[in-house]
Parts: sequence; C-alpha cells; structure tokens
Amino acid sequence: MSPADFAVLLTIVGSIVLFGGAAVLALGWAFRSGQFDNLDRGARTIFGPDEPVGQPTDAFPGGDPGR
Amino acid sequence: MTNPPPMTAPERERAARERGAIDLSCRGPVLYLATSGVFWLLVGTALAVFTSAKLHTPALMAQTPWLFTGRPRMAHLQAVNLGWASLAAMAAVVWLTSRLCRVPVAFPALLYAGGTLWNVGMVLNVGGVLAGDARGVEWLEAPGYAVPFLVAGVGLVSAWTAATFGRRRERHLYVSQWYILAAVFWFPWLYTVAQLMVFGLPGLTRPATGVVQPVVNWWFAHNFLGLWVTPVGLAAAYYIIPKVIGRPVHSYYLSIIGFWSTALFYSWAGMHHLIGGPIPAWLSTASVVGSMMMFIPVIAVAINHHMTMLGSFHRLTYSPALRFTVFGAITYTAVSFQGSVEALKDFSEVAHFTQYTVAHAHLGLYGFYTMTMFGLLYYMVPRLTGREWLSPLLIRIHFWCDAVGITWYFVALSVAGWWQGRMLNDPRVPFGDITEYVLPFLFQRTGAGVLIGLGHVAFAALLVANLGGWGRPRPGGPTYFTGPAAVREGSTTPPPGPLPS
Repeated sequence: MSPADFAVLLTIVGSIVLFGGAAVLALGWAFRSGQFDNLDRGARTIFGPDEPVGQPTDAFPGGDPGR
Repeated sequence: MTNPPPMTAPERERAARERGAIDLSCRGPVLYLATSGVFWLLVGTALAVFTSAKLHTPALMAQTPWLFTGRPRMAHLQAVNLGWASLAAMAAVVWLTSRLCRVPVAFPALLYAGGTLWNVGMVLNVGGVLAGDARGVEWLEAPGYAVPFLVAGVGLVSAWTAATFGRRRERHLYVSQWYILAAVFWFPWLYTVAQLMVFGLPGLTRPATGVVQPVVNWWFAHNFLGLWVTPVGLAAAYYIIPKVIGRPVHSYYLSIIGFWSTALFYSWAGMHHLIGGPIPAWLSTASVVGSMMMFIPVIAVAINHHMTMLGSFHRLTYSPALRFTVFGAITYTAVSFQGSVEALKDFSEVAHFTQYTVAHAHLGLYGFYTMTMFGLLYYMVPRLTGREWLSPLLIRIHFWCDAVGITWYFVALSVAGWWQGRMLNDPRVPFGDITEYVLPFLFQRTGAGVLIGLGHVAFAALLVANLGGWGRPRPGGPTYFTGPAAVREGSTTPPPGPLPS
C-alpha cells in the first residue's frame, strides 16, 4: 500500500468513525438530556407571549394578516 | 391538556423586547451575508441566461475567450451554489440560531470575517473560472487558490454557530436547530474531504486515483444538496410556516424522525449519479437503496408541512413569506419523490445524461431551496431593518415571475429530456435529429430563465429599497404584533406555556 493510498484510507475510515460517532453521541445526548420527553412543549418553543399560538405574524406591506 | 394561564401585558412586552434585542444584534452580520448572497444570485442568473442562450445560439459572443460556453456554465454553477445558496444558508443559520437559542449575537466579528473570506473566495472563484483556471470536476470547479478562503469562511461561521449553541438560553432544541447544527457540522467536512481526495494538497499529498475520483466527486455534489442546503431549507420551512400561521408543527415526533432518517440515509445516495458508469456495481446499487430509503424522511416532512398548513392555505393570499416558503415545501416533496424514482436503474436508462436531469436539479435547488430562502428573507429582513417592504406589487411580480419561470423551465426540460433519452436509446435515430428535437426546448429554457431573472431584479430592488431606508417603519418594531390588536383576548386558541428559563 502506497502512502497516497494510506492517506485516502485514513481519510475515509477517520471520517466514518468521526461522523458516525458524532451522530451516535448526539442522539445519546438528546435522549439523556430529555430532548424527546415532551414533544408537544418542544413544538411550542418558537412561540412566546408576544407571538402566541393562534396569531398569524406576516402580511403584505400595509395588509391584514387574515385569520 | 390544561391550558396555561394567559400572558399578562408585562410578560408580552418582555418577550417582545427580548426578541427585538436578538433581531437587532443579528442585523449587521445577517444582512451582510444575505445581501452578498443576493448579489451572487444576480451574477449567477446573468451567467445562466447567457449560457442557456449559447446552447441554441452558439455564435453569441463567440470571439470572447472568457465567455466560451464551458466557462460561464461552470461560473454559473459556482455563483449560484457557493455564492447565493451558501451565503443565504449562512444568513439563515445565524438568524435562526440566535432566535432559537434565544441569545443575541456575540462575536459578530467572526461572522463579518467569515462572510468576507467567503466573498473574497467567491470573487477568486468566479473570476478564476471565467479566466480559464477552472478545474474540470463538476461542482468542484473552484480554482485551487479560491478554496482556502471558502473553507476558512464557512469554518468561522460553523465555529460561531457552535459557540452560540454553547451559550443558549433555550433548553429545548427545536427541530430547525437539529438541521442547522448538522448542516454546519457536515458541510466544512464535505468540502474539505472532497478537495483533499480529488485534488490533494499541492506538494504534500497526492489525490485519489481511478474510480475513487468520480465517486468522491458525486458523493460531494449530491451531499452539497443533501447535507448542506436541504437541511437549511427545511430548517427555515419548519420555522417560518408555524410562525407565520401561528400554529405548532402538526407532528413534532415526525419532524424528529424526519431529521434522523435524513442523517442516516441521505449521504448514501450520491452514487446514483454514476449509474451505468465505470464504478463497482454494488456502489451504485447501495445508492439506489439509499435513495429509496429517502422516502421515509421525505414522507415525514411532506405529511408534516401539509398537515400544519391544512386549514390555513387561505393565508397564502396574505403573507409573502408563507407563499414562497410553502411553494418551496411543496416542491421539496415533489422533487424528492422524483429524485428517488430517478435513481432506479430502469428509469436512469432513459433519463440519465439528458435535459431531464438538468430540470430535476433546478427544481431542487431553485423550486425548493431558493424559493424557501426567499420566504425566509421576506420574513426576516423587515424584522432586522425595522421597515416594511416597499411595494406589495413588486413582491407579487417577484413571486409570479419565479413561480411561473421555474415551472415552465421544469416542464419544458423534462419533456425534452425524456424524449431525448428515448431517442438516444434508439440506434435508428440519427444524432442530428435529436439535437433538432431538443432545440425549441432550449429556447424555452432561455425564456424561462429571463422570467426568473426579472423576478430576481424585482427582489433585488425591494432589498435595496429596504436597506436604503424606503418603506414604512414597522409598527411595534421587530416583533410583528405588540400593539393593542396583538393578542385577541378570549381567543379560543390557548396561549403558549410559560417561557422556560
């Protein structure tokens, strides 16, 4: 095996370990830290008291956002 | 589920102030990234229309070396994908990360530096390609001297995203954030590995040889779409659609399944570009399987976006952001289904190496991604500048030019490509006949390109006007509704739960 082949192999195997490993670690962390415990609440995190659920937030300039 | 108590006025005001402060801190870096992205979009569109015209009128400016057919074509690909798509992605990453982590932008210098490095890289890239320095690998045409700037630029933006994520005040990772974190983690790696393996480091390492080169080439090209722009586009859609219509995602569970199945399957799919090519058969077969598995995330996203919108489709009349985003989301479903089917070997026998593939690629990067990014910009920019868009008419012109333009483009080239493929497979059809058959469709492509370009000019005019101070100040600042009409008291929809600390 030439050094060039070895470098290619190292890149591929290294990538598999690093990126596959990162995905596994991220999923493990997500479970442990309770990211998936309350999905209903999770879906509502982008809303707030100022822009609550049930309130459309965009309109053509000068227009009504509709209902 | 019990309804949480209604929010009091001070709570509403505090939340609005927080959101306003975050948007204000984003203003400089995000507008810089977005505006330079739109600049590259205009450059890329001009190059596209010119290249398209060259295909049916080859004598056009044939004496100008830097406008030989090949060069503007490669420059177009680099300008729209690494220029527009990537800069728009970075703008989306910064704004969405700040909002979803609920922290104002810290270290803005990192973002300015990253954006500037990327723009310098793009000038060298597009300029170098036109000057004749392109490297003959599709999607990796950027000259060697432009690449370090690009890698360093996106590296800084990724580092900023990681740092901001570390400082987050919102404990929950919204689904958009999963997509964004994955995209900024994957893309610098993809680009670096593809460069190292296809070209090597000059003087230090040698490039991979033989079939590994095209394999890496198409692994990168496909993953540029799948692991960089698609996650950012979906992150934007998962944020904009619920925010605009004021309704949480239909099934948050499905959205998470969609993310993780994308992460698992998308990177397998690249080799379907080499079906019938000189690579080991098992490689392309594995990619066909990966492409089929993509039905899982795509169906998850499709169900979610459709069910979230159900009952709110009339709002497309009222909201420009929603109109563009939903056009993009529907196209995402269509183009992904088409892509999976296209990967089948029997289908590839006809469609491969024809205009059909070109139509598909544009449906993905334009119909889905670019339209979704327009939706994001229509929502985001007024909240950053504090000014409304100048003209509803120009917005409508933009939408209809682009929507009709890309539909026309797609239909014309799909029809042309399919029959082109059928004829190419029939040895009795002379090659000249096939060229003549395709020719009228190539004229149509230029027509569609001009229409799309008109839309872009309308959008650029709106953006310049907004940045230049034309347009009514937004009532209530960055948050949409803080006035008395803000919250309909006694509304049947329960207000959201208290903000997590």
